[in-house]
Amino acid sequence: MAPSGDVVVARSLTKRFRDQVAVDRLDLVVPAGARVGLLGPNGAGKTTTLLMLLGAISPDAGTIDLVGERLPRHRSRALGRVGFVAGYLPLPENLEVREALMIFAGFYGLRRPKPIVDAAIERFGIEHLADQQSRELSSGQRTLVSIVKSTLHEPALLVLDEPTASLDPAVAGRVREALLGIHREQGTALLVTSHNMREVEILCERVVILSHGGIAADGTAEEVAAAFDTDDLEDAFLQIAARSRTTAGAEDGPAAPGVWRP
Amino acid sequence: MSFVRIRAVMQRHWIVLHRAPHRWFEISVWPVLDVLLWGSLGAFVSRDTPDSQAATPYLLAGIVLFWTFTQAQFSIALGVNEETWTRNILNVLTTPVKEIEYIAGIALFGLLKLLLCMATLTISTIVFFGFDLSAVGWSVIPIMVLLVINGWALALVVVGLVLRFGQSAEILIWGFNYALMAFSGVFFPADALPDGVQALASILPTTKAFSALRTVLAGNPLPWDTLAASLAGSLVFFFGAVAFATWLLSVFRRRGFVTRYS
Repeated sequence: MAPSGDVVVARSLTKRFRDQVAVDRLDLVVPAGARVGLLGPNGAGKTTTLLMLLGAISPDAGTIDLVGERLPRHRSRALGRVGFVAGYLPLPENLEVREALMIFAGFYGLRRPKPIVDAAIERFGIEHLADQQSRELSSGQRTLVSIVKSTLHEPALLVLDEPTASLDPAVAGRVREALLGIHREQGTALLVTSHNMREVEILCERVVILSHGGIAADGTAEEVAAAFDTDDLEDAFLQIAARSRTTAGAEDGPAAPGVWRP
Repeated sequence: MSFVRIRAVMQRHWIVLHRAPHRWFEISVWPVLDVLLWGSLGAFVSRDTPDSQAATPYLLAGIVLFWTFTQAQFSIALGVNEETWTRNILNVLTTPVKEIEYIAGIALFGLLKLLLCMATLTISTIVFFGFDLSAVGWSVIPIMVLLVINGWALALVVVGLVLRFGQSAEILIWGFNYALMAFSGVFFPADALPDGVQALASILPTTKAFSALRTVLAGNPLPWDTLAASLAGSLVFFFGAVAFATWLLSVFRRRGFVTRYS
């Protein structure tokens, strides 16, 4: 069933680590079924934002409604409709792929996981991996299995932190196809961080660029490029990254000069 | 609380145990070595003073019940650490599994390991020294329950410290255990400890539990007043440990320590 409403509503989200402001009064809304890329230079606050949205890190200020549930109070209920994939995260190494999927199906509260896991293995074409130990998987296989793991419960929102980092272009392409397939078939919203601008242009219909924890740009790839008077998203990103370096250490909230919003 | 999620946690740790032969050491090898060590010491003492409370039955009963405490402690502390060792903690935190469900799963699985460990200990004490603790009867059950509560409580303290200080604090899993062994009068009455230490030993609920054990071994009825005092102390320790671990978990989320394991 296609979800309705907004799957992420974050208001004035703020996070500091000691004296460093990681996320600064961030407002972010992701409608159901949307495909949003969260971009930014290293240290812009992307992963911190994602981990706050998932309840793994507590914000210092602001509110988060995830799939209609207020965090942190209803974190468990919300995460029952959200999946998380990170390119840098391994699967538990001492489990076979099928075992890991069965266990995560249980973590998602699925009462009869076997037919669901079998169907997911078949749908993603990973039958040949099912009986392999997780530690024996290549990076691409691991990412694919992580996507299978995170979609067993047909989430309304799939959060992906650098899902294709360290993958070769062919494998990355297959991962993107799998993600777009999930989006098409289940109406799953995607919230993706990546340093690959080409990937973001393929995967996402909207990009949000962070800088110093605030929003530096928000719109379609074309709109963002046009706003910075550049040919493509990558050049716009480079401009923002360069500006970010020159203003490092200075106050650079979401309303800094040059910020563009649709 | 979801039974499905608790069952999934138990399955996850069963597979870890099943797959890793070295994990069986804490059930089937180290306890037997302790039986040999303490049983032999007791046999040596018995040659000159057969009625001594340092004789074989007392030392063996002490080590069997110490392993009750140890297994309860290890099940939770090592269970949580398994997720840090395999960098799986973020995977778990981004599922609907609640902290209490996770702890309940590993604690229940720990009881199964405790049963296996008790079987090992019972067989080895009978085979090597002709001592059968079960011959004492049901009196040891309430003492074991007290030690399980204390083992869980100590584990929660250690888990809290590992969450706060990172994997370097893991050493405390084993260190705290042996500190409590020294202070709890596992093999001797607390008044045998040096003067300065007796005050500390006297307030520990584990000291009272082991004191009750010696009373029963001497052929006396269960000292219910001692057990009641131990139960009160155990509950204070347990709920204090829950509060401590909950506080450090909130620090873990607030300071973003989850990124240490991703």
